[in-house]
Amino acid sequence: MRLKRWLLFAPLLLTVFLLQSYFWVPTYEHQATGNPKRLVTYIQGSSGDAKVLNPILNADSASSNIVGHVFEGLLDLDADLNLRGRLATEWAISEKAYLFVSASNRFPDGTEVTGTQLINRIRAALKEKSFSTLAKNIKDIQVLPPEKLTQKISMTEKGEDGKPKRGEVEISFNMPARVVFSLHQVDQDFFTQLMPVIGDRYLENFPYDQHLNLPEGIQPEIETQIHAQLADLFPVAEHNPIIDFQLRKGVRFHDGHEFDVGDVKFTYEAIMNPKNLSPRTSDFEPIKFVKVLDTHRVRVVYKRLFSPAINAWMMGILPEHLLNAEAMQQEMEKRELSDAARAAFGMRDSQFNRAPVGSGSYQFVEWQSDEFIHLTRFEQYWEGPAEYHEFFMRIIPDLFTQEVEFHAGALDDYGAQPHQVSRYREDAQYQNFSSLGFGYSYIGYNNRRPLFADPEVRKALGMAINVGDFIKYLLYGEGERITGPYPKNTQWYDPSVPPLPYDPEGAKAILMSLGWTLNADGWLEKDGKVFEFNLITNNGNPIRKNIMTIAQNAWKKIGVKCNTQVFEWAVFLKDFVNTAQFDAVVLGWSMGVDPDLFQLWHSSEAGPQQLNFVGYNNPKSDDLIVRIRQEYDVKRQREMTHQLHQQIHEDQPYTFLYAPLGTKVLDKKIVLVQRDEDGNETYEKIYPTKSGNIEFYFNKWRKLEMTPDF
Amino acid sequence: MLAYIGRNLLLRVVLLFIVSVLIHGLIHLAPGEPSAVDPSNPRMKPEDIAKIRAAFHLDDPLYLQYGYWVRDLVQGELKSFKDNQPVLGKIWRRFLNSLPLFICSTLIVWTLAFPVGIQAAIRRGAVFDRSSTFVAYALISFPGFFLSYIAILGVVEIFQVPVIGMRTFGMEGAAGSFRFMDRVWHLVIPSLLAALGGIAVLSRYVRSQMLEVVSQDYVRTARAKGLPNDTVIYRHALRNALIPFITMFGLLIPGLVGGSVIFETIFAWPGLGLLGYEAILSRDFPVILTLNVFGAMLTLIGTLVSDVLYGIADPRIRLE
Repeated sequence: MRLKRWLLFAPLLLTVFLLQSYFWVPTYEHQATGNPKRLVTYIQGSSGDAKVLNPILNADSASSNIVGHVFEGLLDLDADLNLRGRLATEWAISEKAYLFVSASNRFPDGTEVTGTQLINRIRAALKEKSFSTLAKNIKDIQVLPPEKLTQKISMTEKGEDGKPKRGEVEISFNMPARVVFSLHQVDQDFFTQLMPVIGDRYLENFPYDQHLNLPEGIQPEIETQIHAQLADLFPVAEHNPIIDFQLRKGVRFHDGHEFDVGDVKFTYEAIMNPKNLSPRTSDFEPIKFVKVLDTHRVRVVYKRLFSPAINAWMMGILPEHLLNAEAMQQEMEKRELSDAARAAFGMRDSQFNRAPVGSGSYQFVEWQSDEFIHLTRFEQYWEGPAEYHEFFMRIIPDLFTQEVEFHAGALDDYGAQPHQVSRYREDAQYQNFSSLGFGYSYIGYNNRRPLFADPEVRKALGMAINVGDFIKYLLYGEGERITGPYPKNTQWYDPSVPPLPYDPEGAKAILMSLGWTLNADGWLEKDGKVFEFNLITNNGNPIRKNIMTIAQNAWKKIGVKCNTQVFEWAVFLKDFVNTAQFDAVVLGWSMGVDPDLFQLWHSSEAGPQQLNFVGYNNPKSDDLIVRIRQEYDVKRQREMTHQLHQQIHEDQPYTFLYAPLGTKVLDKKIVLVQRDEDGNETYEKIYPTKSGNIEFYFNKWRKLEMTPDF
Repeated sequence: MLAYIGRNLLLRVVLLFIVSVLIHGLIHLAPGEPSAVDPSNPRMKPEDIAKIRAAFHLDDPLYLQYGYWVRDLVQGELKSFKDNQPVLGKIWRRFLNSLPLFICSTLIVWTLAFPVGIQAAIRRGAVFDRSSTFVAYALISFPGFFLSYIAILGVVEIFQVPVIGMRTFGMEGAAGSFRFMDRVWHLVIPSLLAALGGIAVLSRYVRSQMLEVVSQDYVRTARAKGLPNDTVIYRHALRNALIPFITMFGLLIPGLVGGSVIFETIFAWPGLGLLGYEAILSRDFPVILTLNVFGAMLTLIGTLVSDVLYGIADPRIRLE
């Protein structure tokens, strides 16, 4: 019977054909046999796909990972987290300081203020000994003539439907004569030091009304809005920090086009172009203008003192010739877009974001959505080509799947979790690393609540918790104790601040001394009220949930009653954190490399939807925070951050818990390759930098055929 | 016949319209915002979000949004919220990836289920019948994702070879035959696991269908004529037992879109199922909508095909 035979043979044939394919697939041990290129191919696992491969548009970690290999910025961070020149070889920071010749003012001796008077008096004073440090910093003084400026000011008005509407008004401002000081170094106290000459109140009471011309028929409400902005727009005394970059010569983009100053200016303009909707706009907002000095020198002038602004130049530089108006026009022609599409066409719509061209160590080859992104090394990279020839980022959403692929040899690196890392430690096949990163976890108390208003109470609560338990049981040892608001791997962190001791008895004693007494049920009580509060966190983070349980138990032991609740993230933010309607929260921060803590800790940032949601308020800290972000000298900045760290530690607005360690597991065959001048190779074991960056020397990594002995 | 098909096509177009309106409403009723305009993203300023919302027409009334969607879809300019890529191109590429998996698992299901079902029916009550029944119910009861994880772990730990994705990474330098077989190997485990449930269910159908047909009068007549047992079973009984399965062919088609969400996610197979799953997670409305309507379209085509096939295969049924 033919049909019967077929019914038997068809499944048999199919099964045999499918299963024999197993013998064609390389096993882990033999992955390089017949395929030597595997050794120079690095495959990284990622749980999410990239979204947009453009340094000025990306906002997710997968995209920034690829962008970091393909593009290069003017600067980056070296092994110790100091700025290091990349596309810029050198940079110099100076300042221009402007001072209105405020004719309505009088000098301390009563004479009227004029431009020549002002400049002569300052020049004379600078010759005195008490002004010698100031005089040393001044390169040049000049008087600028008065000028008329027209400027658009943003305001909100009532639309026809009665809802507030954003709009702009054009005003003209008669700028008075100004004295301009060219300074060698940025000095945030420059004008304060001039006070003895110009008078203590020189900066106040400038008559803006007399210098302002408003358009006809303006509504009085809008006029008030404009007046409120004038002092910020046209300050009597203004600091303009300046950065001069010297660009690296002979650097090429992956398409062979030479990199020059036009690309830097273009990148800045592209970010500020509202049509591009760049999420980096706020980083570059402090810039007043960017000026081309020659083909490889560029000057960046800032509107105000803001030292972290320089970090923005770590962002990758775009190739102007591929993205300028002309190139965009060509792309629209080529893609035969409709008129409607053309009108809305911006950098976000460009195919460039799917096939980027940069000047980094790897160049783009291919992107298969949700599958992989393939890069290959850039042979003409100015620092020499990378050791790995090919780089893949594979998109595998599931962590389990990532681990399986890692075991099978189809991934060289994946986001190993702490519990997995502890498993690899015993395996001779792998090397593993743990290092500090930029994040930390904390318990934040709502400082506005009377219960938590006293720092001693917050300190007692912190002393009742054994942070060591969290690190040991929740993180499998992959965490470090912290004491303050800065990332532990940065120089801003003060390592000399001692952590709160674990001392439940001491904690109880502190609370007792504040008038709390144990009641019959074993809870602390004062004025008939039990020490009770709610501790909340967001759903979906098991570690935070466990922190709550351990803390609840620890506090119970000293008689503090804590109720815990978990909320869905959106609800958690909207109903509790943003409105400050909570007692205490378990949360974490992922910090940046700069020492600016304004958004997190300044008392002006404690409003709804702002990040100082615990309502921390200490004038001493506020002052330090502002001075730190205006200071350009790293050493002085460090001194102040250590002071701030100590101050916040004393106030204990949070109980600072731990910084989780970043972990990585690699095959032991992957090593650091060093080459001498003759091209001879020596191998070193991979090591993290002091700042905790394991991949810092990635361009020198390679996989060997045999496991080396170190 | 042609009149029947024409009338039905028209009816199905109307139905497709209704379905698309329903899906559109449903998606917008579901909570959550597209990830591009997520208000809890601290990097986004309210005015930027407002701009993006306007560009996506998210603040327009629903009927207008529906209109924009149809317009862009027809003009081929519909773009994903997530990466600004044309939706149709995306779906087409993912469709091509899903196709081998779909074909392979369908082949496995249909080639294995029939022999098993027929043998079980012929030896009703024997050890083979009982054990195949047991295995079939076990496979139906075990969730597919659980078996998948077990299979992945087993294969990787014991055989030390990769099983995830469409191919082994880092094989680009190897010879063509190796690369082809590598792709076949990557098909084996996911399609086998996706097929297991199908084999179990289909073999049960085949068994019961065969049992029913075998007890018919004409089969007894065939036996009475003295025909050999194989001829009775495979020529007279099986052909009639096959008729209901012809209709199932048509109903297979929509499985292309929704049938493999779980397996594609577990095996990181970049197909339509994974595309839909990720689009839902990031509330990528254009992709979800188009994919759903695509699925609805395939279902409607599938039912039409099975109606027509039924009419062709069974002379007792006439389509009018």
